[in-house]
Amino acid sequence: MSRRPPRGEYIETDTGNKVARKATLVGTQNIMLGGKTVIMPDVMIRGDLIRTIQPSSQSTGGAPPSTTAVSIGRYCFLSRGCCLRPPGRLYKGVFTYMTLRIGDHVFVGPGSVVQAASIGSHVHIGAKVSVGELAIIKDYVRILDGTVVPPNMVIPSFSIVAGQPARLIGEVPEGGHEAFELRNLYKTVGNNPQPAPS
Amino acid sequence: MAPPTNKAVAAPRWSHTPTTPLLLWLGVSLPLVAWDTGYMLMRPHTMPGGSLHWPLWVPYALYGEVDHLYGFKQWHLKNSFAAAQSLMNLVESLMYLGYLALWYSYGKPAAPGGRKAVGGRVGAIAALLGFSAAVMTVSKTVLYYSSTIARPSDANSPTSTEPDEDDRTFDPRAPRSNFSLYPLEYLLYCEDCHQIRCPRCVTEEIVTYYCPNCLFEVPSSNLKSEGNRCFQCPICIGPLAVTSVETKPDPGLLAAPDSASPHSGPYALTCSYCNWSSTEVGIKFEKPNSIHAQLAKLRNGGETRLTAKEQKERRKDPSYRPQAAAQGELGEAEALDLETQFANLKLLYQKQLADPNAADNGLAALGDLGFSSPTSLSRIMSIYTGGSLQDKKPKSRVGAMREALEANEGLQLADLDESAAIAQLQDEGLDGTASTSQLADQPPNIGEVHLHGSDRFISELRPIPYLLRTKRSKRCPVCRHIISKPEAKVQTTRFRIRLVAGSYIPSIAIRPLSLSSGSSASGAAVPGALLEPLKPTHFLLTFKNPIFETIKVTLGAPAKTPGRFASKVTVLCPDFEIDANTDVWDEALKEGGERDRERERRRRKGEEGSGGGSNNNHNQLEVGKIWERGRNWVSIVVEVVPASLTVEHGEGPLREDEDVLEIPMFVRVEWEAETGGEDVGTAPSKDKEAREKRELAYWCVLGLGRIRQ
Ligand SMILES: [Zn+2]
Ligand SMILES: [Zn+2]
Ligand SMILES: [Zn+2]
Ligand SMILES: [Zn+2]
Repeated sequence: MSRRPPRGEYIETDTGNKVARKATLVGTQNIMLGGKTVIMPDVMIRGDLIRTIQPSSQSTGGAPPSTTAVSIGRYCFLSRGCCLRPPGRLYKGVFTYMTLRIGDHVFVGPGSVVQAASIGSHVHIGAKVSVGELAIIKDYVRILDGTVVPPNMVIPSFSIVAGQPARLIGEVPEGGHEAFELRNLYKTVGNNPQPAPS
Repeated sequence: MAPPTNKAVAAPRWSHTPTTPLLLWLGVSLPLVAWDTGYMLMRPHTMPGGSLHWPLWVPYALYGEVDHLYGFKQWHLKNSFAAAQSLMNLVESLMYLGYLALWYSYGKPAAPGGRKAVGGRVGAIAALLGFSAAVMTVSKTVLYYSSTIARPSDANSPTSTEPDEDDRTFDPRAPRSNFSLYPLEYLLYCEDCHQIRCPRCVTEEIVTYYCPNCLFEVPSSNLKSEGNRCFQCPICIGPLAVTSVETKPDPGLLAAPDSASPHSGPYALTCSYCNWSSTEVGIKFEKPNSIHAQLAKLRNGGETRLTAKEQKERRKDPSYRPQAAAQGELGEAEALDLETQFANLKLLYQKQLADPNAADNGLAALGDLGFSSPTSLSRIMSIYTGGSLQDKKPKSRVGAMREALEANEGLQLADLDESAAIAQLQDEGLDGTASTSQLADQPPNIGEVHLHGSDRFISELRPIPYLLRTKRSKRCPVCRHIISKPEAKVQTTRFRIRLVAGSYIPSIAIRPLSLSSGSSASGAAVPGALLEPLKPTHFLLTFKNPIFETIKVTLGAPAKTPGRFASKVTVLCPDFEIDANTDVWDEALKEGGERDRERERRRRKGEEGSGGGSNNNHNQLEVGKIWERGRNWVSIVVEVVPASLTVEHGEGPLREDEDVLEIPMFVRVEWEAETGGEDVGTAPSKDKEAREKRELAYWCVLGLGRIRQ
């Protein structure tokens, strides 16, 4: 990807993604990065688990089948040792994987496993969290460390959840929206990181 | 009032004449009082901006600024004291007028050309009237001043009831502090009152109800009538999905409820987290939709039960009634579920209310105690049934009521035979019993037999309908303006109004400061490390200005933190200015010049510190100097000497969180703002460039960490 002569710890792409050389990205052609996303070392993204059945069987002669396994928006931050894995389900009696969609400004804490169907924008997932298969997490959600989000669970916007299984423990206050912004965090990692502004 | 001055020589009778000073005083004071009373009683029209303000009451605009009892502040607080005063003024003035009128119309000149004097009965009345009015004047004035003095000089927070509240050092450890401290994100700001508003004082209004599981918006008219469509696991509160019972696939890969698979036959609710299934309590559904309606008809074990609606219909059915009564007389009545029992009892009491003479079985003495009397019962019933049973005609005789005797009247014998439960407990052990939180989550009135002995075991728990969530708007408690309002649609996260305190008051960031000049005097600078007792430590406080005006910040912190273990606190620079938060675009355009400016600032800062730039650490720990400044932020240093946590002999042990070092800090922010048109507190100025001084002061608490024990 990068043609820069000095080999830094990160590969920095034209769209501003910073991908650690020690991250494991399987099936990179099926992984979409929106730009300015940080992927730290020891992160695993399973792009190889693609959809085997297309949802609309009628439009056989239409567009080429989408093979996106994981789609990530802008300014996402995948911490060390987390894993993104597309969820699987039975569709008309046959097993298939589904696309894992992630919005903008999504933080995934270290050691967390995400198998959600979709994650909105401005979501903070703490450390050692498990997001079960086909869970749907809306915008402005904070998932505290160690939470287990059960499969199929829907977490509405402005929720703070914790526990095993995840339970609503509070609401994101009106003044807490800006804390989800990851622009400053993006600058603190990379081959020439800048210190966090005070 | 005034002693009789002029006695008629001819008449031996007593008479009274007002003195000249008195007449002068009344001549001046009566119009004044009328003016003042008119202002007070006709507020807000006479206040600045009101229709009657000009020209008569213009001077009050100034006076209202000085004496808040007259100004908008108290008007907004609905302070009725001043208005009551004015009412008394009115009475008093009328008394004076009466006194003058009596003297004028009844008085006769005692001497030719002399002043009128009133005598006899009328004179006595006039003197009494005048004297009473004078007493009123004195007492009212004294009362007014004492009330003004007892008030805090400037009631900054309208909620503070104790006059000293603002003057005392805020104690973060006081039990009440838990209720008045919030992180900055939780605070809102009222632009009309220029005050911070916390979650505890705002008034909330529900904008939208929705189900947190399917995000379906529930119209408020359907809230009671329609049950929720989504359910939670009674064991683990995970979401329940509808699955087909027959072709149950691998439980780890449950089909989503909307799967249009050709499954048929009975369905069950299954938990994807703990694999609980409603088949465990014997509940299966015929259809995969309208689960709530189906569940309402099902008892645990799969027996059907009548819903409230069907019961109502059944009660209306005349052919059913005698039959049910006959069944009741057969002795062993069927176990009633809660709704049926309630309906039966209601019917019984209603019947007795309609005919108060029907039952009088000698319990009338108890009627005085409040229960078993029809009136108190109808009152209680109206609380629960929404007033439909309100007994409107007054009862002359309060009789006692008969209680239910049969099942069809609502009698439910308690089942005291617990042997089955004991056997089950022996069988399943404690693990088989439901926890308190599981029981608390159980929906009420779900149609089981009765509370006696039920719902003690996990095997009896039923699916929990999801509690709905809401979107709420928030109002300022004082001026009733909306300070936060989300868009009504469930799926959007936008707000129409969102006045958060963070965009009005400076944020404070705390960072340990390491003075890496080799001196061992400074403590550990690792974030999260324990603070060494009795070792001076420095912290960098960075204040960030969110508003577009330069602000002046004044800090006040106690020299010693409150509590048993007092740490010493020194704010090295308690007084500074922060530059305005200029537009982000300005900053972006000046991106190139930013570095130069920064360098320039650093140089200036270096000059401010009395020495050169190389050895700046020692220079800047000077009192009265800021540490660093940026576009809209300023860093200052706070020196802390943490207390030693050694507990003296005879004192109690260290309490929970007593090792946490927290500094209460009084922050006072001053700035000049443009006078907005809506700011009614100031006199209407034609000059648009007019600037207004604003001030905001509040206590906050800075947590610095734990002290090593
Ligand atoms: Zn409050
Ligand atoms: Zn729902
Ligand atoms: Zn469960
Ligand atoms: Zn207000």
